[in-house]
Formats: sequence, structure tokens, C-alpha cells
Amino acid sequence: MLSATDLVVRLGSVTAVDGVTLSVERGEMVALVGPNGAGKTTLVKALAGLVRPASGTIAVEGRLAYVPEGRHLFYDLSVEDNLSLGAWRGRDRNPKRIYEVLPGLAGLARRRAGTLSGGQQQMVAVGRALMADPEILMVDELSLGLAPIVVSDLADHLASLHQRHGLALLLIEQNARLAFDLCSRAYVLENGHIVASGSSAELERSEQVRRAYLGVGSTPSKVRSREGDSSESARRDGSA
Amino acid sequence: MSALVEYLISGVAIGCGFALVGSGFVAIFRVTEVINFAQGTFAVVAGFVAYSGLTSAGAPQGVAEALGVLAAGALGLAFGGAAIGRKHTSPLASLVITLGLAVTAYAGEIAIWGDQPISFSGLQGDFVLAGAHLLRQYLLVIGVALLVLLGLGVFFTRTYLGKGMTACASNRFAAEVVGISVRRMGLLSFALGGLLGGFAGVLLIPIQPLSFNSDIDLAISGFAAAIFGGLRSFEMALVGGLVLGVAESLVGGYVQASYETVVALGGMLLLMLWQARRRVELA
Amino acid sequence: MILLLAAASFLLPLWLSSANLTVYILLGLYAVTAIGLSLLMGLAGQVSLGQAVFFAIGAYTAAVLSLHGLSTVVALVLAPLLAAAVAAVVGVPILRLRGHHLAFATLAFQLIVLSVITNTPFLGGGLGFTAVPGLGIGKATLSSSLGYAWLTWGLTVVVMVVTLNLIRSRPGRALRALATSEAAAESVGVPVVRYKLAVFALSAAYAGVAGGIYVFFIGYASPGSFPVELSVELVVMVVIFGLGSVWGALFGAAGISVLMQVLNQVGTLHGMPQYMPTLLSYAAYGLILVVIVMFLPAGVLPGLRRLWARRPGGREDPMSRQIAPPIASLRSLLRSTRPKTTRADGTPSPEQTRRQ
Repeated sequence: MLSATDLVVRLGSVTAVDGVTLSVERGEMVALVGPNGAGKTTLVKALAGLVRPASGTIAVEGRLAYVPEGRHLFYDLSVEDNLSLGAWRGRDRNPKRIYEVLPGLAGLARRRAGTLSGGQQQMVAVGRALMADPEILMVDELSLGLAPIVVSDLADHLASLHQRHGLALLLIEQNARLAFDLCSRAYVLENGHIVASGSSAELERSEQVRRAYLGVGSTPSKVRSREGDSSESARRDGSA
Repeated sequence: MSALVEYLISGVAIGCGFALVGSGFVAIFRVTEVINFAQGTFAVVAGFVAYSGLTSAGAPQGVAEALGVLAAGALGLAFGGAAIGRKHTSPLASLVITLGLAVTAYAGEIAIWGDQPISFSGLQGDFVLAGAHLLRQYLLVIGVALLVLLGLGVFFTRTYLGKGMTACASNRFAAEVVGISVRRMGLLSFALGGLLGGFAGVLLIPIQPLSFNSDIDLAISGFAAAIFGGLRSFEMALVGGLVLGVAESLVGGYVQASYETVVALGGMLLLMLWQARRRVELA
Repeated sequence: MILLLAAASFLLPLWLSSANLTVYILLGLYAVTAIGLSLLMGLAGQVSLGQAVFFAIGAYTAAVLSLHGLSTVVALVLAPLLAAAVAAVVGVPILRLRGHHLAFATLAFQLIVLSVITNTPFLGGGLGFTAVPGLGIGKATLSSSLGYAWLTWGLTVVVMVVTLNLIRSRPGRALRALATSEAAAESVGVPVVRYKLAVFALSAAYAGVAGGIYVFFIGYASPGSFPVELSVELVVMVVIFGLGSVWGALFGAAGISVLMQVLNQVGTLHGMPQYMPTLLSYAAYGLILVVIVMFLPAGVLPGLRRLWARRPGGREDPMSRQIAPPIASLRSLLRSTRPKTTRADGTPSPEQTRRQ
């Protein structure tokens, strides 16, 4: 229901996404993992139609919604207003149905979004995306800057949305452990290329993936040097 | 005492006009981050159109003014199209474009209405308050301006469209994410700015005759009012307009009329410098 | 080529009628002022919508001092100095402001100064001064327009030489960095604040000396001689052929002055309404500004040169580069108020293409 073929996205003179082919089927939960600066955010922005690709095709069947990295709420508006604006292109602007799915938000309805904690803001961001009644939801960096317990709570919510409403999910994550636990299938993006893909179980068994993303079988110093590399490339593509 | 009351009320009335112009700056700036230099042009054109409606077209009072305001709104939309219609126009480039549009508008105004000041009488008669004889038009200006600003507040906080515009002001990227077209909202804000400027024009022209180049004074005063709230708050633009109007009126009444502009401009400069200094300290 | 141009412009006044000689002189004076503004906007990245105020300060300094018996030559020397001093004092607070705030502040400053002049009898009030003496030493005064024409020519040459050398100097290069990114300039140790102030004062000095010659030539000065429209005219002259370029400012001033003269003649043709010249000049200024900024933000010459270079198998014409060296495009100046963003459609921006 969402597919990209040979997608190339350039940011200025930098090719951030270079020939990516991926797909998410109806009702599927798929993860996109990769280091900082691999081009993940640029890729989802292109999938969301916010960045025009240089070449390649994107096909979307059904409604698609997007939770951007860093949440990007309307901080001076109330939670309720944030939610109802999520339905800008839809019909039903009443956020009540979101309170049923994410009950934690009901009590925050009148609060200004800027005054919420990070976890609460992330929940509002998810809720706002759900207001568009999507059949596929892309979440960029769900776990970023949040405490593990908050992340697992949010992950539970997403999993139950998937199970109960058949929502398809594309989860963009640096935290590969979380991504593999949640999703059945995953892609690994490095330097704008898909370097590995397959079921989460397969990828978890792969030596290469284990070493780079799960911190297994590698020395700490190696991990650090890899992070050094990636932060540099992040600066280059400007998405960080 | 009666003199003071007169200065105060007339200052409040003029200040309401400044607040309307200033709100136009705010409406446009919040959504587009563009300072619309042609904000005074809207007021002048609205006043002139209303004048033509009254004199040439024989429209009744009220209808003529409404026409003027609508014309200014349409002009706002057109100016917005030039200023932000093309992609990748930076806010400062847009400012220069609106400056160019304001100057171009001079040519049109002169061609249609000539280069002499224009005025028409608004609400006739006067009233007495605390011994001071005051024009009824002052009350009309104050009343209509407050209603318009109230309506503006309701629009931005209560209506879905208004919230969508506020959303653009709050976070452009997020607005795009939920599917709001920031550019279209920007054009709408220009139309709104045109309407607000238009209200100021048709309300003020019976008190102060306007000529084609009155737009600079109006724009500067409106900008000074808007800068009170850092160009982002309508309430503060109202406060700013009132402070400015009353200060000008008092200086004009008790010191010397010709110092009005110095006070207004000096105040605006000091305020901007103070804000800049505070920004540096915060950062 | 440049020498030829200099010689031709030096000899030109000999053939001009007295009306055209006036155009020639004003053209030179505007050019000097525009070069200063171009330096300020293009090199230091600061937008001034009130540059005519320094022209006015220069004119009033020269007029007041000479009317009080001071030698006109001394008065003319003091005119740019006072203008620069005012700029230096006002610049300290005002240059803290950025982008549109600075634009409004400079405009407000001009209006304040004009208002103060209007209200000060010592400065001639609203009527201004008439019968300002001509420039001269002792009994020998410069009485012919031809003399003023050559004086203006000399001033223009001096200002251009000074400015071109300044641009190529070390501070000039540092200033270019300032125009593109203030933060970056600061981080490599450029004394940003001091440089900005220095350029502001220098641009004021240029305007001041031009204003001084103006008042000796015209013989009177009133607040109405230096309206906001003059500031806008100067901005148009500067942006039309590319910001930050000395030659661009010179040709901008020349082009606009000649265009205005032509429009003025058209506007005063028999049967035209009385307001026609004003109308035409406003239409021209406004439309030029809008069209340039919307479609040719780098200025007419650089814009055309890019089109020329883009033709099949095209190469940049080295001559045009010499005439209008693209020091800082309007685009880069205008962009500097906002953090640099990549174009949303992912295609490289023209700057990036050029750099490659």
C-alpha cells in the first residue's frame, strides 16, 4: 500500500537518499533502521510528499499520516486544537475518537502543547496524525529523547492500533532493538542505501546487524567510531 | 480639563486606527514572516475607493466604506501574490517587493484620484463629554475598531480556519505535515491585512485627509503599534496603537503639533532597540 | 576600456546643454551615494531605507556652515565628517537590529531628522535655506555648471578607486564573509560590530560629501529636497545591477537618472496632466523594484550574464564580469536573515550550481 521504487532525493548537492526501493503492505508493521544521518528522515519526508524526489516513484494507496521527528506540535495551541488540526484534510475534526484510542490525552485537552512533557507531546503528535484517519502511519523517531518506560507505553499503543484497527506502520528508528521487537520486517538504511532487509528475526540473527545496531559482539570503541562517522554525515545532509 | 479629555479621546480614536493598521502587519507577519511595507497603501486605497463610492457612484454612507474595505482586501490578496506567490522568496525580498508595490500604487492612485489630499465627512455632529466637544466620528472609529479587533480575535481562536493560520504561525513545518498549505494561508493573511488596513483607512479619512503618500505615515505608525507585541500579538498591537495615538495627541496638544511624528518614531526606535537588547540577553 | 569610459565621461560635459549638465551632476552625486549604499547593503549586509538622510546631513552641514561665514571648502570637508560621525553614533544602537527591523529603523531615523529640521528655525525650518553660496576659495568661486560637473566627476573617480581598493583589501574580504553569514564571520574572528559600523560611517560620508556638493550647486536646501522617496530611489539604483558592486551602483545611478530624465520629458509633453512626471517616475521605480527582486534577484547584469552563460555551449563573458563583479548578490543578502535552507524540491539552488 506504500511503495517506493529507485527513489533518489537530493538536498542541495548532497544525495541523501540514493536508489531506495521499499514497500509496506496493508496492515503490516515495518521498521526502517539506520544510524543518524543515513537519510531516514529525508526518505520519510519524501514518502510523506514534503520533499520532491529527484527521481524514482512513490505509490501510496489509502490515507497516509506522518509523525515527524522532534514531534513538531503547534506549541502555543491547546492539545485539543493540535488534534483537530490533524484533520485539516479530513472531515471529522472532533478529537473525541482519539481520546478513546489514547485515553491519556483526554485529561490534557485544554493544556497548551508547549507545557507538556516529552512523552505527552509524542502522544499528542501520534494522536494528531491519527486524526487524519490514516490507513498507514509513519512515525519518525518515536523513542528520541524519551525515557524507556514512556517509549514502551507509546509502543504498546501503536501495537494495539495495529492489531485492533489494522493500521499499517512504518517506524523509523535509531533504536534497532525497539524496532525489531515491534515490527515483523525491517530495512536497514546506511548512507542513503538500503544495505539489508528482511524479517526482524533474520536481521537480528545477522552478524553485521547485530554488531552495528544491537551492540552485540562488538567492542565499545568500535561503536563509538561508527557514531563519529555518522554524526559527520548528519551534518552534511542537514537533516539532523 | 476639557482640553485633556479632547486630546485623550481623539488620541484613542487615532490610536485605534494605528492598531488596525498594526494588526494588519501582525496578521501578515505571523503567518508569512513578511513585513508588508504596503500596509499603509491598503488604508489609503480603501479611503479613496470609499470617497469615489460616495461622490461619483452615489453609494450611501456605509456601503461606500464597505466597498473601500473590500477593495483593500482584494488589493491585499494581489500584493500577497506578488510578495509570496513565487517559491523561495525570502522575507526580506518580500519586504522589498511590497515596498516596490507601494510605490507602484502611488502611480495608480495619482492617475485615478490625483495628487491632492482627499477627505469626506463621516458621522456628522459632535457630543459633549466632561465639557469637551468631541466629534461623533471618534466614537465610530473607536467602536468599529474594537469590534473588528474582537472579531479578529474570535476568528483566530475560535474558527478552524483561524486556528489553521495560527498553526502556520506556530510551526510552519508542522502545518505542512498536517496538510495545511502555508502559502495559501499566507495569501489569506495578506487579504486579511488588506481588510484591516482598509478599515483603518475608511475610519480615519474623515478625521485626517489622506493623500497618496499618506501611506508612509500610516505604515510607520502601524508598524510602531505592532512592534509593541513583537509583531506577533494583536492585543499588544492594540495597546501599542492606543499608547502611540494618545502620546501623539498629548504632544500635539500641549507641546507642538509638529513634534508628533518625532515622538512616535523615537518611541518606536527605542522600543525596537530595547527588544533587540533583551533578545541578546536572553540568548 | 575603463580608461576610455573615464575619458568619455570626463569630456562629455563639454557637449551637454545646461539642463543635461544638471542631470550629469546629480547623476554623479547619486552614484557616489549609491556606491556607499551598495557597500553597506552588499558588503555589510545591512539594509538602509533612509540613506538619503546622510545626503541631507551633508547638505545642511555645508549650507549652515557656509551661511555662517565659514569657507565653503572647509564646510565641504566637514560635511562628510559630520555625516559619518552621526552614522557612527546612531549606528551603535541601530545596527544591532536586523533585517526588516533595521530597514524600518533607518527609515524612521530619516523621518525624525527631517522632522527635527522642519521644527528648528536655526536649520531653516520647513522652508529651508536659499542663497547658499557657491563653492570657492576666497573670491574665486565655482560659478559654472561645468566646474561642478568636473568636480563631481573627480569625486566619483576618487570614491570608486577608494571603494574598489577597500573591497579587495583584507577587511573587504572579511566584510564579504559578513554579508553571507554574520555568525560565520564572527566565529573566524572578524570584528563584526566594528566593521559594520565602519561601513555604515563610510557610506554616510559618501552621501555627506555628495550632499555638500549638491547644496553648493543647487543653492538651496529644504526638508522636501530629501524625502523618503530619495532613499527608495537610491535602493533602486543599488539593486538594479547587482548589490555590492561599485560599477553596478554607478550604472544603476546612471541608468535611473537617465530613465527619469526621459520619463520627465515624456511626462511634460504638451497635453499631459500636471502630475504626469510624478506618476511616471513612481510607476518606474515601483515596477523596477518589484520585477528585479521577483525575477532577477542578483541584479540585471548578473541575471543576464547567467542566462548568457546558460545558452548551449555558453561561457561567461569575461568583460561583463569585469563590469559588474558579483560580490554579493541580493539573493544572498536577502537570504541572510534566515538560516540557510535547502530548496524544498531538492534541486540545487543557483548558488550551489555556481559553486560546483
